[in-house]
Amino acid sequence: MPRPIATTRSATGIPTVRLAIWWVLASEVVIFGGLLASYLLNRLGHPEWANAAAVTNVWIGAFNTFVLLSSSFTAVLAHQAAEHGDGKQAARYLMMTIAGAATFIGVKSFEWYHEIAEGYTITSNGFWSFYYTAAGLHALHVIAGAVIMGFVARDAARGRELQRVELIGIYWHFVDVVWIFLFPLLYIAK
Amino acid sequence: MSQSHHPNYKKIYLTLLALLVISVAGPFIGIKWVTLITAFGIAVVKADLVIQNFMHLKWERRIMKLALASSLLLVFLFYFGVAPDVMKHTGHNWVNDAALAATARGIAAPHADGGEAGGHAAGTSEPAATGTDGDPAAAPAAGFDARAAYGTVCVSCHGPDGAGDGPGAVALTPKPANFTDPAFWNGKTDAELLRAIREGGVAVGKSASMPPWGSLYTEAQAQALVNYLRTLRH
Repeated sequence: MPRPIATTRSATGIPTVRLAIWWVLASEVVIFGGLLASYLLNRLGHPEWANAAAVTNVWIGAFNTFVLLSSSFTAVLAHQAAEHGDGKQAARYLMMTIAGAATFIGVKSFEWYHEIAEGYTITSNGFWSFYYTAAGLHALHVIAGAVIMGFVARDAARGRELQRVELIGIYWHFVDVVWIFLFPLLYIAK
Repeated sequence: MSQSHHPNYKKIYLTLLALLVISVAGPFIGIKWVTLITAFGIAVVKADLVIQNFMHLKWERRIMKLALASSLLLVFLFYFGVAPDVMKHTGHNWVNDAALAATARGIAAPHADGGEAGGHAAGTSEPAATGTDGDPAAAPAAGFDARAAYGTVCVSCHGPDGAGDGPGAVALTPKPANFTDPAFWNGKTDAELLRAIREGGVAVGKSASMPPWGSLYTEAQAQALVNYLRTLRH
């Protein structure tokens, strides 16, 4: 199948599409890194935020961490299946990953619904501002990743564009890594 | 397609779950530095496992590792560049009144922000935060430590000894009140001082640089502050 030259040529020795994904993530590192660094600065300057952090539910956070770690596991298994040329199996693993994303968002909605009902909103104080901003930006990444994964899975099931399975996986693991840091920052540190 | 490297994913996944259990269990031991290690140390280990093995960065070209590392470096530059301004609430020529007030308010009344009793967490709190196990509203001045409040809020301008020489005073004209000066106390009534504290300098015909702290201190707490100020006189 003829391909546009941009996807085949590579000056770095890294396939151009994968290089592009890495650059996206390099910029994401700065976006999330800046947000989390700002949170950390303010948290250390405001000992009283511990009172607000005490309200967040560690068990819900831990469950969602478990969900994301599991979805990363299925995403990497999809990558492995795709490299073995088994598009159908890769698609199945991707669907499991999407199910993980849906579970994560469902749990998050439940959690936020109750917190907002109790009066902890994005304007309550500095802690809650960061809580909703950081977790919200992360949730948007989860939703976007799940949607794109749906397209990749659809193609993979027909044996097409199998290289994309690895690419969406790399992005997905990054979303997982961000949550790995959000979990102790927002839930464990009281 | 790239060369295939597939480590034992199941083993890595189970390791990640075990680490998750440890990070949740850590705080139950109740030692602060153990919690820091189990929470943030383990987060770094987990992230490293995912990045190296699931994202295959371990087998990626070095140039990509360097690119990602430089992104991370920029984040750290940002952090340390901004840290002195955000983490401290007073500097050589400036005072962040809002941050000081928010901290003082949160520590003096942990329940006001909607937190559950955070007594165990408020390791840095002044004595003001202790003894509020009962109804916080019932004892406005009882659990209030005027000296600690002065040391948190007033000190930035009025100085540690009350001489009006705090770091925030440098930029102020007229200078903040000097509580050590007997002349200042000449004919001062409690009512006037209470008003200055709760309604600001303007309310008593003084500088607008003295903010109103009425939302921070009740009448009784302001009175406790006035009593403390009187002890600063030389």
